[in-house]
Amino acid sequence: MKRFIVAFIAAYIFIFFWGWLLNGVLLKDIYAQTPNLWRSQSEMMSLFHWIIIGQALVVFAFVMIYASGFAGGGVIAGIRLGILLEIAAIGMRMAIYAVQPFPGKLIVYGSISGLIEMLIVGAIVGAIYKPASQTTT
Amino acid sequence: MNWKKFFFAFIAAFGFMFLFGFLWYGKLMHGPHQEVPILWRTEADFGNHFSSLVFGHVVMAFFLTLLCARFAPGGGAGPCAILGVLVALIYAGADLITFAVQPLTTKILCGWIAGHLIQFTIAGAIIGAVYKSDSRMTPQV
Repeated sequence: MKRFIVAFIAAYIFIFFWGWLLNGVLLKDIYAQTPNLWRSQSEMMSLFHWIIIGQALVVFAFVMIYASGFAGGGVIAGIRLGILLEIAAIGMRMAIYAVQPFPGKLIVYGSISGLIEMLIVGAIVGAIYKPASQTTT
Repeated sequence: MNWKKFFFAFIAAFGFMFLFGFLWYGKLMHGPHQEVPILWRTEADFGNHFSSLVFGHVVMAFFLTLLCARFAPGGGAGPCAILGVLVALIYAGADLITFAVQPLTTKILCGWIAGHLIQFTIAGAIIGAVYKSDSRMTPQV
């Protein structure tokens, strides 16, 4: 349980800063090309707690999946899980692209960065979380 | 891995996910979606991007099947349905983030979260039921 919590916190901190760097800084200009698809800056700030809860839910579910079916494989197992989950998410992104007029560039950059993000999250979780039988007291 | 069973599980999952998506997001949620028409492509534009919708569902179904086969190598509707719930929670988290940055209504947010939970839980159960093999193996990643 202790390692579960530590893995969750470490992965959450990474995902929070990665999300800020990517969406708040690197992709800012691409988002600006479709202003009608996004909330205003002030509106986003008033709903910021949903970003925090959403990211926490993503990380919690990731660690739960790893702990329930993939634990014991270490960093490599975590990375593989991250890749599998992110490629499925790319499928979802493509389905959303069919119905929302996002710039294609945003889907491509979002998918590449998502893959990097989940790969690193997987490595963090795989490195920290160990099943009870592998932990020493 | 039993590739024959994997293939049938993938086809069944794709069929269900695509049909469910059409009914839930396309029909049932059509009204709530129309409250924010600026967010969606026009009918004609959607038609031009329909291949993305189909291919996206193929990718989702394939990798969910692969995940189930790794998560529960022996298959079974129960364990794979649980995996489906956990995967749905990842998408629910993404829905919450989308709600914070896009002008979605709370009705759309709730509909998307409920849709993902139902869709991935049932898809997981279908995959587990079809993929179920007689021999139980240890998880491999």
